[in-house]
Amino acid sequence: MISMWSQFVSYIPDWTTFMQAGLTLLIPIIICYSFRSLHSMIKEQNSTEKRALSTDSSGETSGSKLAGDYKSDVELIKQAIGNNCDVHFREFIMGGYEVGATLIFVAGMQAAEHINTQVLQILMMNAEKDSKDNKSLPSNSELSAYMKQKLLPVCEIKEVVDIRDLNQSILNGHIALFIEGMPNALVMSMPNEKTRSITEPTSEALIRGPRIGFTEVLSENTAILRRQGRTENLEMTMYEVGNYLKRNLVVAYMKDIVNLDLLEEVKQRISKMDMDYFAESGYVEQLIEDNILSPFQQGQNTERPDRVISALLEGRIAILLDGTPFALIVPVTFSMLLQSPEDYYERWIPGTLLRILRFFAAFMALMAPALYISFISFHPGLIPTELAISIIEARQGVPFPATIEGLILAISLEILREAGIRLPKPIGPAMGIVGGLIIGEASVQAGIVSPFLVIVVAFTAISSFSIPMFSAGITLRILRFVGMLFAGTLGMYGTVLFFLLICSHLTKLKSFGVPYVTPISPFRINDWKDLFLRAPLPLMKQRPDMMKTQQKKRRS
Amino acid sequence: MFIRSDDKISTSQTSIFLTNTVLGAGILTLPRSVTNVVQTPDAWISVLLGGVMIILLAILMVKLSQQFPSNTVFQYSKRIVGTIPAAVLCLLLIIYFIIIAGFEARVMAEVTLFYLLEGTPVWAIIISFIWVGAYLIFGGINSIARVYQIVFPISILILLLSYFLSVRIFDIDHLRPFLGEGILPVIKGLKSTILIFTGFEVIMNLVAHMQHPEQAVKAVVTGISIPIVLYLLTVVMVIGGLSTDGVLRSTWPTLDLLRSFEVAGLFFERFEFPFLVIWLMQMFCNFISFYFNASLGISQVFGLKAPSVFFGLMPLIFLTSMIPKRINDVFNLGDAIGVMGIIMFVLIPGMLSVIYIIRKKGLKQDV
Repeated sequence: MISMWSQFVSYIPDWTTFMQAGLTLLIPIIICYSFRSLHSMIKEQNSTEKRALSTDSSGETSGSKLAGDYKSDVELIKQAIGNNCDVHFREFIMGGYEVGATLIFVAGMQAAEHINTQVLQILMMNAEKDSKDNKSLPSNSELSAYMKQKLLPVCEIKEVVDIRDLNQSILNGHIALFIEGMPNALVMSMPNEKTRSITEPTSEALIRGPRIGFTEVLSENTAILRRQGRTENLEMTMYEVGNYLKRNLVVAYMKDIVNLDLLEEVKQRISKMDMDYFAESGYVEQLIEDNILSPFQQGQNTERPDRVISALLEGRIAILLDGTPFALIVPVTFSMLLQSPEDYYERWIPGTLLRILRFFAAFMALMAPALYISFISFHPGLIPTELAISIIEARQGVPFPATIEGLILAISLEILREAGIRLPKPIGPAMGIVGGLIIGEASVQAGIVSPFLVIVVAFTAISSFSIPMFSAGITLRILRFVGMLFAGTLGMYGTVLFFLLICSHLTKLKSFGVPYVTPISPFRINDWKDLFLRAPLPLMKQRPDMMKTQQKKRRS
Repeated sequence: MFIRSDDKISTSQTSIFLTNTVLGAGILTLPRSVTNVVQTPDAWISVLLGGVMIILLAILMVKLSQQFPSNTVFQYSKRIVGTIPAAVLCLLLIIYFIIIAGFEARVMAEVTLFYLLEGTPVWAIIISFIWVGAYLIFGGINSIARVYQIVFPISILILLLSYFLSVRIFDIDHLRPFLGEGILPVIKGLKSTILIFTGFEVIMNLVAHMQHPEQAVKAVVTGISIPIVLYLLTVVMVIGGLSTDGVLRSTWPTLDLLRSFEVAGLFFERFEFPFLVIWLMQMFCNFISFYFNASLGISQVFGLKAPSVFFGLMPLIFLTSMIPKRINDVFNLGDAIGVMGIIMFVLIPGMLSVIYIIRKKGLKQDV
């Protein structure tokens, strides 16, 4: 009995083990709670601001109306926006009727010759002819109708009484017309916005495929989308976003394909967005994403209308924001980030091979330095002897462990890349020479890094360039460093843990309810034809299962 | 519904869950532990027979669980035998799961120490393992099943490839004579083959989480057939490659098999490296299953919130895994787990079904 007891006691771990057990518990709790509080802080921030603003805006909306008196109305407008140097008040006398009128507009936002010929000329000269038949102007309420119907040959024209509305229209580039005796203002639009021409998308170049890219003008972008093909099912809903500077945002979808629950969710998240200004669709992406703390992007940004349309046909939803050429596609899955529209334009065999190549490249971009570190500093016995010998010979004289060596080179490469983006174009190539050739060569000769590592890091960098989505490349670049740290501390075992950690994270991650790594897991065999493979087009009969579309079939 | 809120898994996910729960440490140790008992090359027959028995037992468990839709064993046991006896039974099952989880973590650490990370402290390996596992477990059964779906095809591919490559040192003579000493050694071997299937008890919890519980039998049969085939292949290839004497001499016979030939022209010299990688992932899955089921049990029996249970189990599993002092203690613990498995089986599905049948059929009670 006593011997059994002593044997039992001998198996009780010593106090260091209990300490370690305590740490096992303590550290995750600290991490978990700090993450959770970070998360709730971000969430709270969002909701409190929203509440504050909703009370604020309710006060503003009850705007005052025009009094109906010509002089005082113009004076009112002058007080409100007359301080701006670019707001012009052009007063004139309407020919024939001899009544006063004022034209209010912002300089530079309209075509001046149109104002001259279509408004001023008509009102000052042509009206004279008209007045001979009429003798006197129509009475108050009929005057604006008369102007619209008989005098002003302008396509977009409306009556406005709300002062706030009026001020905003004027500042947005409309022309307001006041006439003595007319109770309201007439707002006409003759836009002359300077926009750049439609060019090839620079961030997503293709060898074969349409050369058209989105521009900064929302109406042009929606028109480009419409021009992709004739259908009555492409539906676009307009939202006004931004609390301070307002901008238009369009949600585009195929109304008979998209899953209605998904659409509802997207619309709900968009209407919940709260920000004073939306400078780029990246703002939208960050405000509607599911997981703020994930390194993976949960919306795909693209400049290519063809990409947007094919995503819409898969049952996804596009979000276009005024002022940026980048449209946003949601929900996004991991495989989308490694696809290029060209996969579909080329024949299926090269498309498939290229796609497999990209998956391999993505894997390498993530894992290559970690594998190098774990092989060199932990398990040189696992690689072929000749290779191990040649690597170790090359590393002789390198004063750092493989992890530090790898970090030095990888970080300097990141700096190089960052510098290359910011530099003016003519200096760019010089940068490549200085950074790539001279530093690489010199650091090897100086014995700071081994030539084999230079190969590995360069290979990794090129691999990450081959990923079609720039932002996905950034994610992999960040995670690569995490992988290097794992490999540096726990070798191959650490690398496996790192892989499992990423797998765990990816399976937990969702983009608008779609698991991020569908169709690999949850396993959807029907969607595998567009994953590693790009099946021949006749085989792609169905839309992706994961989108739970209304129409399953792609063909009639 | 587009965004799913229910935490259910599909039938194929259940199969893979079961496969990944069963397929673990056994791949490395099975050939030795079975051959040790059988002492003849007929160990593979034991594996086959043992596997078939396990399938039958698992089907019994499924049938029992199907009587209580969307209830786990931790919930329905009290409806059969009453609150207090059920609590005792569930507690036993929970302890059993915790011990297995600790055991798996320790075996993983031992192999890692031996082959990959000489000199690294055991606790560093086990703690990092537990942490990554805990991160996944917070995602619930759905995330776990999805990780299994990623790991499973990779494991199977590498596993089959490594056995395929070891065909070159396979010698059919090592498997002869067939039944040279009669059927008796084979029967003796059954005990140790049943042990390697420990963990299939989780099916009693999985049925409750299935989207289509009526397909549970199908899921179980496929989910256990896959490990049977793989274990069978392991035993046949390892004994065929190393002979019974060779198997008995080595600690991790399967790895020794893969170390005994070289693959030329690849980035790694021997196939032991990819094998170890997938084995580590497989052990992770294995560990997760028990960790998850233990925490499920605790939270259901004691009515605790899941996250606090996940946290609370971390040090517990760590301590369990640190109890064995030497590698022999680890193997003894493995054998003890096997015995516990049999006791568990007799107590939980065995006794529960008998009582259930008596109450339902004999006493006409409404359970």
